[in-house]
Amino acid sequence: MVKVYVNDKPVEVGEGAHLLDAIIKAGYSVPTLCFFKEIYREASCRMCIVELANGRLVPACAYPVSEGLKIYTDTERVRRNRRVILELILAAHRMKCQSCPRKGGYCLLLDLAKEYGVEGIPVCAECPLHESECLLTKGIPCLGPITMAGCNSPCTREGTPCIGCRGPITRKDVLEEAAKLYLKYNIDLDELYSKMKLFWNNHPKLDYIYNVIKEVIKKNTKEGSLR
Amino acid sequence: MTWSLMDKCCDRCWHSPEYPCRHYIRCRLNGPLCHEDPECRKKRENRLREIMYGKYGFKIKVPMASCTIAAGAREVYDAVIKEVKSRGIRVDVRKTGCMGMCYIDPWIELVKEGMPAAIYANVKPEDIPKIIKEYLEGDVSGAFALRYRTGKAKGEDKVPLLEELEPWKNQVRWVSRNCGIVDPESIEEYIALGGYRGLDRALNMKPEEVIEEIRKSGLRGRGGAGFPTWLKWKIAREQPGDVKYIIMNADEGDPGAFMNRLLAESDPHRVLEGMIIAAYAIGASKGFIFVRAEKPLMAERLAKAVEQARKYGLLGENILGRGFSFDVEVILSAGAFVCGEETALIAAIEGRTSPRQRPPYPATRGLWGKPTIINNVETLAHVATIMAEGWEKFVKYGTEKTKGTKMFCVTGSVKRTGAYEVPVGTTIEKLVMEIAGGPPEGRKVKAVQIGGPSGGCIPASLLSTPIDYETLQKAGAIMGSGGIVVIDDHSCMVDVAKFFTSFTVAESCGKCFPCRIGMKILYDTLEKITNGEGTEEDIEILEELGDVIRSSSLCALGGTAPNPVLSTLRYFKDEYLAHVRDKRCPAKVCTRLVEYWINPEKCTGCGTCAKNCPANAITGEPGKKYVIDPSKCIRCGRCYITCPVGAVEKR
Repeated sequence: MVKVYVNDKPVEVGEGAHLLDAIIKAGYSVPTLCFFKEIYREASCRMCIVELANGRLVPACAYPVSEGLKIYTDTERVRRNRRVILELILAAHRMKCQSCPRKGGYCLLLDLAKEYGVEGIPVCAECPLHESECLLTKGIPCLGPITMAGCNSPCTREGTPCIGCRGPITRKDVLEEAAKLYLKYNIDLDELYSKMKLFWNNHPKLDYIYNVIKEVIKKNTKEGSLR
Repeated sequence: MTWSLMDKCCDRCWHSPEYPCRHYIRCRLNGPLCHEDPECRKKRENRLREIMYGKYGFKIKVPMASCTIAAGAREVYDAVIKEVKSRGIRVDVRKTGCMGMCYIDPWIELVKEGMPAAIYANVKPEDIPKIIKEYLEGDVSGAFALRYRTGKAKGEDKVPLLEELEPWKNQVRWVSRNCGIVDPESIEEYIALGGYRGLDRALNMKPEEVIEEIRKSGLRGRGGAGFPTWLKWKIAREQPGDVKYIIMNADEGDPGAFMNRLLAESDPHRVLEGMIIAAYAIGASKGFIFVRAEKPLMAERLAKAVEQARKYGLLGENILGRGFSFDVEVILSAGAFVCGEETALIAAIEGRTSPRQRPPYPATRGLWGKPTIINNVETLAHVATIMAEGWEKFVKYGTEKTKGTKMFCVTGSVKRTGAYEVPVGTTIEKLVMEIAGGPPEGRKVKAVQIGGPSGGCIPASLLSTPIDYETLQKAGAIMGSGGIVVIDDHSCMVDVAKFFTSFTVAESCGKCFPCRIGMKILYDTLEKITNGEGTEEDIEILEELGDVIRSSSLCALGGTAPNPVLSTLRYFKDEYLAHVRDKRCPAKVCTRLVEYWINPEKCTGCGTCAKNCPANAITGEPGKKYVIDPSKCIRCGRCYITCPVGAVEKR
């Protein structure tokens, strides 16, 4: 048996175990994305990084335990690193929540993004209306595709369109994706703009958001590719 | 077929790879040892002289390494052969390796008994007849340098000795001692110059004593990280199990570093000897040479060295009758930078990709799960030399923490590009300004990039830093394999950082997110800044992202990849700020941030610029002054390149 300290709490695990086993045994948790017990232990997502007493950041899933090792799972540095890594993952993520194949399911990325305060995922990811009918299909102007997720979509679930109270997403690819959606269902852009103004009137990027959407709609209308 | 030094002197000598002799190596130089025969002794001594001065007392050496061949050595070699044949001169024309002084490539060396050995620099094929004629007439006044003087030739005192030259004077040629002297494709010449003595001595000791000898020498891995070599060996030696492997990492990939290629191409037997010693010390039975397929000559020479060593029983079963068996296989790598990471290199030999998380380290679990030692080419060359010369001579050089010498490749904006071997602890200034001669006239050193794309930039104000693993790390760079790129004031630091980042983006294996996505975003942000679209927020992003990539990447490639960005940010932040705040590139390199204009005082009105302008932004009439319209200019720089009088200027 090897004795290690997880956040200063002593815990004993068997030899050959990894930090993750000790952390779970001590009653703490670390987020894991790529780890799959007995199948994948290659530490590529780096979300499970923890800090050692010597200041090194190591992945909990693949780092072996050794006697007297001190592990800190939730220091400021660890949280900051995890946040940036999550931002990177989301930056390379195809943010097409409206057409995500995991419909109505559980999204680990969304949960982590909420926990670490990373913007980028729209309300559409949470909106359980995925399974039934989207408000946009009825022609109702909803800000869901361009509003930050995290509210668990109480409005859209009840049939009320999103009013963007959590603030906008300013990522260009998300906005473009949303614009195509608006175009597809013939949503009036001016009406949307007036809705945006309700909460985002003082947002420095309001005009940018409006312009990106307008640009996409204009471009695709001319070419007639979507209509 | 002439008698070779490696062959039996007579039938009384019974050495063969099947029945190896204990005294084989010593017998080559001091033999015969098993019997006394003046005849045999004379035969050997004659052969030694032949190797020194050639068969006819006259020898011409032409360097044949990748670098000199690129500079035209093959044409020079052909010209020498042609000249010798047409004039019927009795001479031995031999191929050697590279000396490391790239700026005199291609050079040739003429050695005749009783004459000074003269080196001619920057030789062209058409110069050959004149050079040979003059030398044979006893005139060496046209030579670049002499290896030694005899006092018999004309003009001898006007030509400097090689060791009087600036780039040679400050060097300590410890591992590169044979480079440019020995014929890399001949084991005989290597032995004649004292080769394989280290192996002979090591096999007379116990493996633990060999490790102890290396411990005393204080040798640290020359591949970049500086891990003590003896400690690595000791860990592997203490591992249970009888199957252990040793891998020679000849997969040098940094842009601007070529000392491993130079060593392996010019003196492959030294490297191989070091490898056999290391294998004996850890108890390995099989070795692999992992060499880039992109460097075919290096692979060819190493393979040839292995073949020759096998032929004379220096590899294989029961080496030199000491009961130690070892064999080597040459493996061609596909040339991925990530193979500098040990676990990735092992994966590549196994046929897999990408590195894995350490620990367990390869010394405990490596190739096919067995204890494996990976040593750099230069480290192994050091091992061979230390075993031959003894650790006492080695520790005379270097600093308190790092002993010995290290080869550095100085490239970029210097007068004398080349690979130079200096004691560790030499200041960067001495290496760059004295040995390499500093930047060309009228330019100033702005920074030096040490350690390739994983290293960092050190500003001119810190040039007095002694080169050592710790001091460089403190200054924000790493020793790396030892490539030093000198950057002068004509270069933009943001652009330099962008260049090195583009290299790591391309070479990232893509396994872990921080390196795969983070480096791409880092590169995109740099591009945004050099295009003049950056904001101050972007600089903060660079800093934060760089720090995260460094601390949370899986392997050392990601862990060091942001170094060029972070170190330039640390020392040249004002340049970054000039790019984002004033939208101006101080070095006038970033094309989007410079404005082209035609200096009316210089313009002759030829109209070349207007003809070449793809955007029709230049107006004017022939014979009169031309003007660039900044609103139409796309800043491609064609007018700047094509103007015959240099009237187009940047501002």
